[in-house]
Amino acid sequence: MSTVKLKRSLQPRALVIIMSVLLFCLLAPAHAAYAATSNTTHQTDTTTSTPVEVSRNGTEAKSADTPFAITDFLRSNKGTSKTYNSSYYGYRYPITAPDAFVVVAKESAILVYLPANHAQELTLNSQDPDTQQAFIRLLEALDLQVANGNLPLATLTTPYLFTTEKSITHQGYLYQFAVEVEPGQYYTCITSESVPTASATTSITAASDTQSSYDKNGALYVDSGRLMPAAVVTITLAPTGAQAVWEFFGGIDYRPFWVSMRTSLTAMFFVFILGLAAAHYSLKINQRVRAVLDSVFTIPMVLPPTVCGFLLLVAFGNSTGFGRWLIDHGVVLIFTWPGAVIAAFVVAFPLMYRTTRGAFESLDPNLGDAARTLGWSDRRIFFRLTLPLAWPSIAAGTVLSFARALGEFGATLFVAGNFVGITQTMPIAIYFQWMGGHTDVATFWVVVVILISFLVILFINWYAAHTQRYRMAGADEGIDEETGFSGPKTKTAKSPGKLLRPG
Amino acid sequence: MKKNRRTVISISIRTCVTVLASIALAFALIGCTQPAPQPSEKPAEQPQTQAPEPEATPVQLQIFAANSLEKALPEVQALYTAAHPNVTFADTQFKGSGDLVTEIQGGAAPDILITASKGTMDTAEEGAFIDPASRRDMFGNDLVIAKGMGSNVQINALEDVAGDNITSIAIGDADAVPAGAYANQALSTIGLYSDDSGKGGSYDTAFESKVSIASSVGNAAKYVESGDCQIGFVYSSDIFRFSGIEVAYVIPTNTHKAILYPGAILKNSQNAATAADFLDFCLNDPGAQRIWSQYGFEVL
Repeated sequence: MSTVKLKRSLQPRALVIIMSVLLFCLLAPAHAAYAATSNTTHQTDTTTSTPVEVSRNGTEAKSADTPFAITDFLRSNKGTSKTYNSSYYGYRYPITAPDAFVVVAKESAILVYLPANHAQELTLNSQDPDTQQAFIRLLEALDLQVANGNLPLATLTTPYLFTTEKSITHQGYLYQFAVEVEPGQYYTCITSESVPTASATTSITAASDTQSSYDKNGALYVDSGRLMPAAVVTITLAPTGAQAVWEFFGGIDYRPFWVSMRTSLTAMFFVFILGLAAAHYSLKINQRVRAVLDSVFTIPMVLPPTVCGFLLLVAFGNSTGFGRWLIDHGVVLIFTWPGAVIAAFVVAFPLMYRTTRGAFESLDPNLGDAARTLGWSDRRIFFRLTLPLAWPSIAAGTVLSFARALGEFGATLFVAGNFVGITQTMPIAIYFQWMGGHTDVATFWVVVVILISFLVILFINWYAAHTQRYRMAGADEGIDEETGFSGPKTKTAKSPGKLLRPG
Repeated sequence: MKKNRRTVISISIRTCVTVLASIALAFALIGCTQPAPQPSEKPAEQPQTQAPEPEATPVQLQIFAANSLEKALPEVQALYTAAHPNVTFADTQFKGSGDLVTEIQGGAAPDILITASKGTMDTAEEGAFIDPASRRDMFGNDLVIAKGMGSNVQINALEDVAGDNITSIAIGDADAVPAGAYANQALSTIGLYSDDSGKGGSYDTAFESKVSIASSVGNAAKYVESGDCQIGFVYSSDIFRFSGIEVAYVIPTNTHKAILYPGAILKNSQNAATAADFLDFCLNDPGAQRIWSQYGFEVL
C-alpha cells in the first residue's frame, strides 16, 4: 500500500520541487555573489590623515578642513590637433567649463591656472601656500581615482606652478588655458613657440604634421574642474554594504539567463523528439548503415565544440553555396538566435541519442515479441512498452542534454556570436564580462551556472533513486495482469531474470 | 493494486512531460515580458524598409569596433541617441579588428566598421565590403607596456622586456589583434621578433617561451590585471578601462607604425546616411570629444 501512496504523491511533489529549484536558481546567487562585489566598490580615498571625499563618478571632491570643494572635474588624457572651421588652435584638450581651473601636467612642472575672478568669489589667495596645499590634496585625490593606472599627478615629483594669467609661456610652449574654440566649448590650447605659432588670433589653415606632433609634447595630460564653496557641494559616495549589493544586483543585465533558458529549452525540445526518433529507428535498420549513422550522430560528442562551430559556420555562412542559397531564401542562421539553438542542439543531441539508444538496446527483445503475439501494434509497443521501460534513461538523457545545451560555449560563439539579449548565453556572458574587466558580474554568472548544474545532477540522482525505489517495490508484486509483463518495474536489462519471473 | 501500479508509470511520464511543458510555458511567458529579441532585432539582417533620410524613422545601427573602444564608444553612442532619439544601436561587437573583418567576410553585415589598424581596414576594403569614400582615420592611440597595479616590475627601456626578471608577457595575436602587431613591430627593432611588419615572423626563442598570446588587446590587459602575466603590450587607452593595471613604460612611437583607427561605412549598409552622420558626430561633437579625451583617444 505504501507504494501506491508514494506514486500518488509523485505529481505534486515533483512540481513543488521543480518550482523550488527555479526559485532557488533565481534567489540563491544573490547571497553567493555578495562577497565578490563588496570589496570592489570602495572608492573613497583614505590615504590622507583628514580624508578627502571623492564622489563615485570622479567629478567632485571635498574635505572637512577645506573651505572649498572641486566639482565638474575632468581629466583629458588626450587632446586633439584637429582644426575647427579650418583654423588650427594647437594641440587642444577639452576643459570642463569656461571658468574652470586648469592643471597642465608636464614632466618638468605642473602648471595650475586658477582664474582670478573664480578665486575672488571664493576669497581665495591663490598664492597662499596653505590654500595651494589644500587645493593640491583635493586635486590629487580626484586625479588618482580618475587616472585609473595612468600616471597620476601624485607620482609626478615636479613642482606646482600657480598662475592666474589666461596664457603663459613655459619652456618654449605657449599655454592658453581657456580658449573658446567651438561656440560654448573651451579648450586648453598648447602651441610650441619654436615652430611658427598659430594661436586663436593668427590662425593658419592647416597644421603641418611636424608642428602638431611638436605641440602635442607640451603636456602629458590636462585636468580641469571648478572650485565651489564646500557648503554647497554634496558628495555622492560609492554605496557600501547592503546598498552596494542591492545596486550590484539591480545593475546586472539578467538577459543572459533568459537567453540561456530559451535557447536550451528550445534545443532540448528538438533534441528530445529527434533523439528519441533517431534512437528508435537506428535499431530497426541494417547493421552496417546503423554503424555509420551511429558515428554521425555521436561524433559531435567527441569533437571539440569549436570544430562543430566551424563546420556550422562553413555550412550556413556566406562562404559556401549552400549557405548563400539559404541566406538568399531568407534563412539567416549565422549570428542569430536560431543559430544559437542549432549550436546547442548539435552538441546536446548525442547525449540524448546515446543514452536513449543504450536504454532501448538493453530492453529484453522478448518483451516486444511477446507483445506482438498479443496483437499489439508497433506504435502501441513503443508508447506503452518501450518508452515506459526506458523512461528513467530517457529522462536522464533529456536532463543531461539540457545541461549540455546550457553550458554550450564554443560552437555558440562561432555560430551565434555575442549579441546581448539575443545570443549572449550565460557561458558567453562569463567570458566577455571577465574579458571586459567585470570580474564581479562574471563571478555572478559562474555561481548561477554552477548552481543550475548542481541542481540538474541532484534532480537526476533523486529521480533515479525514486524510480529505483518503486521498481524494487514493484518487483515484489509480480506480473501485471493486463500486459502480461512485469508492469511498471522498469528493471530492464539490469535484472532480466526478475522481469521474466513467473507470476 | 495491480492496476494502480500501471497508472504509476504513466503518471511519472505524464508528470515529467507536464512539468517540462509548464516550465517551457513559464519561460515563454516570462520571456515575453523581457526585452526579448524580436525577429527584427536580429543583428545580421537589418530591416530592408528603413530609409535613412526622414529623421523620425527609427534606425538601428550595428557597429563592429576594435576591442579597445569597448568602454568609450558606448558612451558616445548614448550621447548620440540622446541627441537623435530615433537612432538606437544594436549590441556593438568589440573584438580584435582581424576577427571583425573575418566575421564580415563570413557574412556579418554591420553598418559601421572601426578597426585599430590600417591593415585590417585595407583587408575589408580589398574585399569590397566597405565604401572607400566613407573611410577616414578617426583616432590615434599609444602603445604602452602595462603592469599590475602596484607591481614592482621596472621597465625603463624596451630592452628590459627581455630581462630575466620578466617571466610572462601578454601580447595580442598579431593576426587578429592590431595591438599585437604594433608590439611585434616594436620588438623587431630590438631583435626579439623576426619580421618588422609585426606579422608572420617569430619571436626570439628564449623570449617566445615567456609570451602569452591573447585573442584581443582587452584579453592581454586582463592577463596582466589578473596576474597571469607580469607585463602586457596594450594601448594607453586600455589602462583606463581596466582597473588593476598601470603604465610601466610608454613605447616610443618611432618603433612601430602610427596607431590609427580607421572607420568606414559598409557598402551594403541600409542606413548609410545615419551611419555617416554618426561617424561625423564621433569626430566633431564637443561632447564626444570629451569622452574620447577621458578614455585616452586622440581624435584625428
